[in-house]
Amino acid sequence: MTTMRRRGTYLRHAALVGVSAIMLVPFYWVLKTAVTNENIYAYPPRLLPERPHLFNFVDVWYFIPFPRYLLNSVIVSAIVVACNIAFNAMAGYALTKNFPGKRAVLLLFLSCMLIPFQATIIPAYLITSKLGLLNSYVGLAFPLLSTIVCIFVFKAAFEAVPHSLVDAARIDGLSEWRIIVRVLMPLSKAAIATNVVLAFIWSWNAFLWPLIITREPTMQTLPLGLARFLSYLEDTTGALYAFAVMVLAPSIFVFLMAQREFIRGLTSGATKG
Amino acid sequence: MMPATGEAAGRQGGWWQRKRTRDLALIACFLLPSLTVFFLYRVLPLGWNVLLSVQYWSPLKPARWAGLDHYEEMLLYDDVFWQSLTNTLIFIGAAPFAIALALGIALLVNSDLKGAAVYRSIVFLSYPLMTVAVGIIWRWMYDERGGIINFALRASGLITKPIPFLQSFDWALPSVIVAEVWQVLGFYMIIILTGLQSIPQHLYEAASIDGAPRWAQFWRITLPMLKPSLFLCAVVGILNSFTSFDLVYIMTNGGPGHATELLITYIYKSGFGQTKFDYAAALTVVQFILLLALTYLANRAAGGNAGSLEHR
Repeated sequence: MTTMRRRGTYLRHAALVGVSAIMLVPFYWVLKTAVTNENIYAYPPRLLPERPHLFNFVDVWYFIPFPRYLLNSVIVSAIVVACNIAFNAMAGYALTKNFPGKRAVLLLFLSCMLIPFQATIIPAYLITSKLGLLNSYVGLAFPLLSTIVCIFVFKAAFEAVPHSLVDAARIDGLSEWRIIVRVLMPLSKAAIATNVVLAFIWSWNAFLWPLIITREPTMQTLPLGLARFLSYLEDTTGALYAFAVMVLAPSIFVFLMAQREFIRGLTSGATKG
Repeated sequence: MMPATGEAAGRQGGWWQRKRTRDLALIACFLLPSLTVFFLYRVLPLGWNVLLSVQYWSPLKPARWAGLDHYEEMLLYDDVFWQSLTNTLIFIGAAPFAIALALGIALLVNSDLKGAAVYRSIVFLSYPLMTVAVGIIWRWMYDERGGIINFALRASGLITKPIPFLQSFDWALPSVIVAEVWQVLGFYMIIILTGLQSIPQHLYEAASIDGAPRWAQFWRITLPMLKPSLFLCAVVGILNSFTSFDLVYIMTNGGPGHATELLITYIYKSGFGQTKFDYAAALTVVQFILLLALTYLANRAAGGNAGSLEHR
């Protein structure tokens, strides 16, 4: 029995190692290409990098307006993350209360979850253009400023805070704003982390929307810069892959730092009830 | 509490009334920013799409009523529409296979296996990545000479001539789908894992005592209990036909010909390439109806109210 079980364990490990290896191959291949300058079209390709170096990364920094793309991406992500925390916490707090029309608001939120943003691009472009926000940071960030999943994450976190604490704060004369900022938010750190991680990943990776509403390179974000770089150089240079590594690094870092919050946020819409 | 005198009660009532109004105003203020975002970028576009789709409209021109002309053109005369519709359906049709694969991995990982958390992270690692970069990586993997896939196939003797995967009419769509599955597999796995962990352990214990073999336990307990999770995976798979724009745009831009054209890339090209906003809106309406219909079917298949909104 035990030997059979042990053999089962080995088989499982073998299968999972295989799966992991396949999942990791693309990471390895892009890293390898990013640190080499050999003729990448030679056949057979080398499996190990020959004389690895980091010059490609330097090239990316200087040959294209990488710092500009980076600045734009950081600004847009910062707006998105900050607004998400404020807006979602406010809406989540409102939903913990009873008010006429609450069912309608809930239903609206839940049905909005079924509308993919990509299905709205034509009117969204026209609306943004009417608002005069084309080619602006606010326009880039606007559709991402609030996220339904995160509203529900905040709602659940606030509902978990003991009522007595909120009541005590109210008796002490704290206003509703202060109750959120001073009492509820400090007790909902996990929800905040979830929100930060999700909002960052979504804004950092967004491509279609910036592609539609930015016309000038000075307003473009990193994904657009990467796509432009690709169209200039095709697949001919290690610098392209160095660029890819540079934009992937932050999302991988954020994910590894906050794995639990990230997964919790993604599945929280799915697992309740 | 005893009722107060009439005057005091009236004053009390007025006070409550005012407090109630103030609370409601505050709630409205709290909801306003989020509602504004969703109204401007979800609800309003949905309606506007429908309106645009029955008009002749382009920037700088007044709108004219078009009735169903755009739909007629699309359904009767537009081969590219049919091709991209077929491709989108194939794209969605690959989801069940990916979900089955994810289910297998989830079952392997969901145990007291040492290092299960590490495997889990590795499988999930590709999900939060920037899709543009993922597309570039996979272009390079599929490359005829420098790509590792052709190298592996040639080295193992499966093929003698390299396959230009992304330039081939037969291979381009499956190749893009493989890249898409690579990215989303971890997400399916996480959804299924969450479902697995919510299955009460005593069901398995009872089944073991009754002498039910492992495969019977899987078919009779695990799968039925996983229906909500599998439904959610299916919805994600259906939605991915929209969200995979980035991947297709970078890897093939719909080519060769229209071999990898999805409805969403065709919508983008019609709208922003040819400024046929009205026609693109009609395409969007069709894709959205398709999405709702498929979601409804998936819901039926999962046993009715698996994803019922009221139960959230």
